[in-house]
Amino acid sequence: MKLNDTAASWRKRPDGSAKIDGSFQYLTDKEVPGCLHARVKRSGIPHARLRRVYTAEAEAMPGVRAVLTADDVPGLNGFGIADPNQPVFVRDHIRFEADAVAAVAADTPEIAQAALDVITIDVEPLPVLDTPEKALHPEAVKLHPDGNILHETFHERGDIQAGFAEAAVVVEETYETPRQMHVFMEMEGGLFVPETDGTLTVYAPTQHGYKDRMQLSRILGWEEEQIRIVSSPIGGSFGGKDELNVQPFGALLALATGQPVKIHYSRKESVRAGLKRHPMKITMRTGVDKDGLITAHEALLVSDTGAYATLGGPVLQFATEHTISGYIMPNVRIEGLAVYTNNGISGEFRGFGGNQALFALEGQMDRLAEKLGVDPWEMRRRNLRQENDPGPLGQRVAPNDGPRGVWEAVQQSPLWKRPSFSRDKQEPWIVRGTGASIAMHGSGLGYGIPDPAGGELRLTPEGKIEAAFGHEEFGQGLVGTLEIMLLRHFHCAENDLLMTIGDTSTVPKSGSSTASRSTNMIWQALEYLVPPFKNTLFKRASALTGAAVENMETGAEGIRHKKSGALLVSYRRLAAEGSLKESTEFHFPLTPDPVMGGHFLYGSTAVIAEVEVNQLTGTVRVTGADHAVAAGSVVNPLGYLGQIEGGSIMALGFTLTEDAVMNDGVYQTGNLDAYLIPTIQDVPKHQAVEAVERLPEGDTYGPRGVGEIGSVALAPAICEAIYQAAGVRVTKLPVEREKLIREEALLEAWMDAEGAETG
Amino acid sequence: MTEKTAEYTLSINGSDVVVPADGSRRLIDILREDLQLKGTKISCEIGRCGACMVLVDGRAMNACLLMAYQCSGREIETIEGIRDTDITEAFLEEGAMQCGYCTPGMVVSLTGMLRQDRERTREELEEGLTGNLCRCTGYGGMHRVLERLSVKESHERSAVR
Repeated sequence: MKLNDTAASWRKRPDGSAKIDGSFQYLTDKEVPGCLHARVKRSGIPHARLRRVYTAEAEAMPGVRAVLTADDVPGLNGFGIADPNQPVFVRDHIRFEADAVAAVAADTPEIAQAALDVITIDVEPLPVLDTPEKALHPEAVKLHPDGNILHETFHERGDIQAGFAEAAVVVEETYETPRQMHVFMEMEGGLFVPETDGTLTVYAPTQHGYKDRMQLSRILGWEEEQIRIVSSPIGGSFGGKDELNVQPFGALLALATGQPVKIHYSRKESVRAGLKRHPMKITMRTGVDKDGLITAHEALLVSDTGAYATLGGPVLQFATEHTISGYIMPNVRIEGLAVYTNNGISGEFRGFGGNQALFALEGQMDRLAEKLGVDPWEMRRRNLRQENDPGPLGQRVAPNDGPRGVWEAVQQSPLWKRPSFSRDKQEPWIVRGTGASIAMHGSGLGYGIPDPAGGELRLTPEGKIEAAFGHEEFGQGLVGTLEIMLLRHFHCAENDLLMTIGDTSTVPKSGSSTASRSTNMIWQALEYLVPPFKNTLFKRASALTGAAVENMETGAEGIRHKKSGALLVSYRRLAAEGSLKESTEFHFPLTPDPVMGGHFLYGSTAVIAEVEVNQLTGTVRVTGADHAVAAGSVVNPLGYLGQIEGGSIMALGFTLTEDAVMNDGVYQTGNLDAYLIPTIQDVPKHQAVEAVERLPEGDTYGPRGVGEIGSVALAPAICEAIYQAAGVRVTKLPVEREKLIREEALLEAWMDAEGAETG
Repeated sequence: MTEKTAEYTLSINGSDVVVPADGSRRLIDILREDLQLKGTKISCEIGRCGACMVLVDGRAMNACLLMAYQCSGREIETIEGIRDTDITEAFLEEGAMQCGYCTPGMVVSLTGMLRQDRERTREELEEGLTGNLCRCTGYGGMHRVLERLSVKESHERSAVR
């Protein structure tokens, strides 16, 4: 299916009109009269012993209602989805420049800010470990009790030495990737309301409301049921709001003051305190035989995970698996290290380590093909997995022929017919090139991590069919996709439906809205829920009308006669017969083999990019980026297209401009003036997106999510296009423009032109 | 904190509003906090992202960079004053939004441009949107919107340049 040529099947987003006219209420737009305003005091120094925090002057300030430090955390002074080793407030060891030392609630934001200015700290500075190399030094200060290594991965199979001995050519290269920032447009924030019944309501964006509830209950020392989390809608996340951010401060201050508290980070605070994509250094050595078949593949990945854990371990695990991705490799040795440093925290981000690994892996494939003198796309084909091959780590996976499907489909892009190199005739210092890459990318959290799912269907007293899920809407279009699925199941009218998400008081546990899993999990849940739900509806209808169940179907307003379409009984009338609820709980499909981090379901993508390189300025413009994607059937064409386009352009930024620069553990990047994400003029005017919908026969797992796959394979395609255009191999992202400047390019081009005319 | 508070009269979406404010209070805070007009969004606060775009005497400007004293006596239009135009319809039909946080600012910028001159080329509209960042969509939807709203450049128009 060509997604952008089928506008007829697009459905308007249910939340579209309100978002366009500005009436849509985000959680950070909420406030209540008289609410207090909170601010967080940060360490301002990347590494030190904290001796004392002086708060007396702030506490005495008129309008200040509470000043909290480490002594004021009733429960666990820590958070972190995988390992709660980030303190809410530092007690004695400052590990990065945005470590919180105190928080203030005051009558106005201005007073809260003034209070921060008079809080001072007494510190003993420590040497700043601002690279993994420094942190790995045997004499380096231990950042955490177990040392400076958060996580190690290792995967070995076959005989790596024998594999290299068989190789006709070998390529070794080190690839480096940047500290990419999520740059969601809505800054982190929320409203925290102590209720009269002694409970706490939290209105704050997150990718997993129940996980926030669990983490907050640990911090407050409360039962989870005493906390209600309202977590959607969200103004963008991309992984960046998966971990707790403002919630511990807002919750503690609300309870300390007994008053509602509002907190909303500035962009500058978010840059310093927020997660980033892990900078990684990946050294790869790969050999192929004379036919281009991979004989040996060796990699060492080192990720800078910053000061605290969050999901740095699972990200490394994911990257390790994706240094292999969809290729068959007999002899493999992969090692990974996630290293604590005094830098900003790295964590979960769309693609989850795949982006870094695939930049390296696909870079190897292009270099090997060139060295061997074969077509790089043909060489990839020879190495791609077949439908029933094992997964990247040797584990059993659902039959998957996605890689071969997209390998073929991407060749339908008009870019495929463009020359791999050309020089502009009018402006000969402009050179153009094309490049392509391919990836297979896991969905779900992988073996070894709990990955539960679930949902509910209910008939409300008003006769609405209500679908309730603990998933979140951060803009990806989850609600619209859910609506389409429900309409297909029930053939009812839109106003017969009610979609409920993002509030722990009304939704069941569904697991996280991460890892390209929500669409897939909702699809599977409805497969379980709809048949018994309909069955009960039909039985009730039969009891009321005497009509036979076999002649019934669900439709607009209620149960209808299958043949005539006549309304037999309304949903509202059926609701009067008593409550009706179907629930399901299940686990994301898992490989039966105990391979840590190994996935079972994967999406695949192939990308072709076209670039223009200006050899006088080093500027790179991406003039085309077309994707083929294999992820099962397309539920919501507009949502699918939006995910691929959006992921793709995020990868364009990762490749060309984005890097949150740190020096000596201090962010040099403060805001969007020094951190450039693509604008509308930096992107292709049109991107072809082709969905390969076929799944292997008998596949029962349904449509795979596409939230991440648009973002994982563009970087190597752009870099190959740059190489074809300008002859420069890129090993470090973002692309360094200086390396593409060739002052003699203009002269050469003129001489060529002269030669062509006179010759 | 000791600055004198003055009163400023601003015309907001056609109504005169008297705002007691420090002269250096930002328009974004007057709109979002004092007047509870939350359709104007806040994100970078340095005039880079365009989430806070409003029309001031018909021209798109960043509300985070305008002070109260600069707005006195001027006609300010926020997204709440812009309803059901071909621009908003195009955004809806082309799916030119995901999280939606940048969307009001985009609509305001395009409204300003197209009110000044209904006949805009694709390139002009693109340039006019470079001050509005979107992180979700990759601008695919906006490109489709601009394709609908722009005129094909005529020979006369291009000859003039």
